[in-house]
Amino acid sequence: MLAFISRRMAAAAAMLLVIGTIIFSLLIIIPGDPAELLLSTGGGSASPEAIANLRSNMGLDQPVLVQYVSFLYNTARLDFGTSIVDNGSISSVIALRLPRTLEIIVAGTILALLLAIPAGTAAGLRAGGKFDIATSAINALLTSVPGFVLGTLFIYFFAQVLGWLPAGGYVALATNPAQHLQMLILPSLTVGLHLATIVFRMTRASVLEMRGHDWVRTAVAKGLRRKNVVRRHILYNALGPIITVVGLQLGILLGSTVLVEFVYNWPGLSGLLVSAVEQRDYPTVRAVILTVAAIFIGINLVIDILSSLLDPRIRLQ
Amino acid sequence: MTPSDCLNPTRRSVLISLGAGVVALTLPQGALAQTPASILKFGLSTFPPTLKPFDNTGGAANTVKLMLYRGLMGYDAGGKLVTELAESVTWNDPTTAVFKLRQNAVFHDGSPVTAADVAYSLNEITKDSSTAYLKSDMKIIAAVEVVDDKTVQIKLKAPCAVFLDLLASYCCPVISKKSTDSAIIGAGPFTLKGSEKNVYIEVARFKDFYMADQPKVDGIRFIAYADENLRYAALEAGDVDLIEYLPWTQFDTVEASKTLKMKTTLGPFMFLLFNVTTGPFANPKVRQAVGYAIERQDVVDAAFAGRGKPLYGFPNPGGSQFDLADPAHEWKYDVEKAKALLAEAGYANGFECRLLATATYGMHQDTASVVQAYLGAIGINATLDLPDWGTRVNAGKDGKYDLAVHGTSGNYNDPDALWSLLYSGNPSYLQSFGFKSARIDGLLEQGRNEVDQAKRKAIYQQLAVAYYEEVPQVPLNWRIQAYAMKQSVEGFEQLPGFLSGSSAYALDETKFA
Repeated sequence: MLAFISRRMAAAAAMLLVIGTIIFSLLIIIPGDPAELLLSTGGGSASPEAIANLRSNMGLDQPVLVQYVSFLYNTARLDFGTSIVDNGSISSVIALRLPRTLEIIVAGTILALLLAIPAGTAAGLRAGGKFDIATSAINALLTSVPGFVLGTLFIYFFAQVLGWLPAGGYVALATNPAQHLQMLILPSLTVGLHLATIVFRMTRASVLEMRGHDWVRTAVAKGLRRKNVVRRHILYNALGPIITVVGLQLGILLGSTVLVEFVYNWPGLSGLLVSAVEQRDYPTVRAVILTVAAIFIGINLVIDILSSLLDPRIRLQ
Repeated sequence: MTPSDCLNPTRRSVLISLGAGVVALTLPQGALAQTPASILKFGLSTFPPTLKPFDNTGGAANTVKLMLYRGLMGYDAGGKLVTELAESVTWNDPTTAVFKLRQNAVFHDGSPVTAADVAYSLNEITKDSSTAYLKSDMKIIAAVEVVDDKTVQIKLKAPCAVFLDLLASYCCPVISKKSTDSAIIGAGPFTLKGSEKNVYIEVARFKDFYMADQPKVDGIRFIAYADENLRYAALEAGDVDLIEYLPWTQFDTVEASKTLKMKTTLGPFMFLLFNVTTGPFANPKVRQAVGYAIERQDVVDAAFAGRGKPLYGFPNPGGSQFDLADPAHEWKYDVEKAKALLAEAGYANGFECRLLATATYGMHQDTASVVQAYLGAIGINATLDLPDWGTRVNAGKDGKYDLAVHGTSGNYNDPDALWSLLYSGNPSYLQSFGFKSARIDGLLEQGRNEVDQAKRKAIYQQLAVAYYEEVPQVPLNWRIQAYAMKQSVEGFEQLPGFLSGSSAYALDETKFA
């Protein structure tokens, strides 16, 4: 087990190095000069002299190789440096924003699991029944509506028409817990409903497959209470693929809550990435992508270990 | 096994989650209204990248900067040039201005605004390592002389008709000589209270501001809403009191609303730029043909929901003191004339070209689509190139286009404000690539260095003629800019014309009913 984990860790580090190098090269290649952009944001145009001065302040007048080596050296020491736009510490911005993105994802995931696992189990157990048909139809509808459309509709109904909830924004939990929770509802609902459709399909399929197995028939024949049959013999065995899917989705969500964050003005990590790309704030873009990649790889590692605990056969492979 | 059996745990968890939802929904709505009524919540279109006093990093940054810093001159809510930290200005001769500073003007650290601070600030703009927006304009200063603590004399190298307008710019504040790069000390109506990158900036009323009864509110919380529809939704939902850049599609709704109102001006304008170094657009006749080929009302309708005004010629800003209208030269929609000019230039059968705009801004993209359709009608087949804004800026500066859409505004209501768009000093994405005209440059210089207004008018009339003949750009339309606000917000005005971007001056007098 220990060898398995350390092998995985080494592979993860190598993967991060490759990702870092690719990001670095891509940012060099894409057009757009941060100094020029910053000084022309207002539709104005700065003198070449002013742009050259700013480029030198930003450290962009250094040779590419020097920039690359210092990037690798600093990243290895977990020092992401400062933003070239406002000189703020990147690590502290990430430390501030990552929890907010995680907050939407965790809240959305809990919501998705609470909705989808019971609904998926019920639908799978009585496949073809009224409940199955109804939930599958709702599921198909939700799957086909993109998150940002759902978000826009929610804002329209809950903020503009009904006036129940704010249209978007963020207030820290410590500043005003009630307002914080109010602002969390719509983003996590949007993320959660979308994730729920995936978990629902997986649960339903998995339960459908498990309930046909011999051991389920045996358990029923033995006279076990049906509740226990469902819990211990069907759902427990059906959990493997569900955990894998949820784990993968968690990683994907880290990079893809961007639309939800944008629609609701939720200042998370994805929003930081988008504005950094727009401003060509190279160090910030690199730091955010590396952070997301590291978490993604970390989650996969955990999923591997969890799966091997649930199903010992995996350890032997 | 019955469904109810297997639904047992389900029902419980569904109930729990429903209950949690209900609890959350019934949280006190009053929480949203807890901020004191005299904090104005302002929805910005973007988060200011920096608040460096002398750089121009966009409209949102300029708005916040005007809250924190002030200069010698400023504008009142009607757009009239007024003294700000200066109490008076006297021209001893056309190149020597003497500014008396207000006795009660103080910086946020409590120290008085002195002549030495003025000299320091102007030097920060003109010094070699500066990245200031007005660096080249301010090179007209020959010397800044500190006469006494409250008197400063500025000597110019040549007369400058718009020198006071330059001093009123949001990029020309007076900051304390004790300022450092990380701690700028200004003398604006508000002090910086707190901020979080990409989220909000909060400013608090500076009680020692030189105008005793201003500002009228205790503070302003600027909240960035990059998405224009969310910005509007936030206003409608009551999350903010005032927003900038109301989307054109929402004008009707606000006009019909009982709770909201808006303030508008014909400010910035849209135009076409050309790469004149190669190909057909090197010929001014082809550029004129483009001028005649486009039905501008369609651009206004398609890209600005009808909220704009066709612009057929020289973009003399609204509020300019000169009438430079020249209907005989204007490029009114005339397909036959356009085709004739193309034939005259040797392109009777048309040609292919690349039309550069940006997908970042819908109005640029929509404008490009209409232009593309009209050019097609005279045989010019334009392929749209719609990169993101950063790439668009670089492509414009490097001439990687044949034809490009752009939209911008000047900084004051005088034809001289077109300097950055027409003067061929530096390669810029605001200008046609490779376009240089000694005639236009000469007229701009003459107009700036002449202080007799009658003579200036004659100069700008000549400039307009040169504009129609040499076609440095093809104008399309003025667009209406709007701020929208709750009915209860009073005293805020949109400054007219090119001064739209300086409307933050009016926040001094903004209050709640």
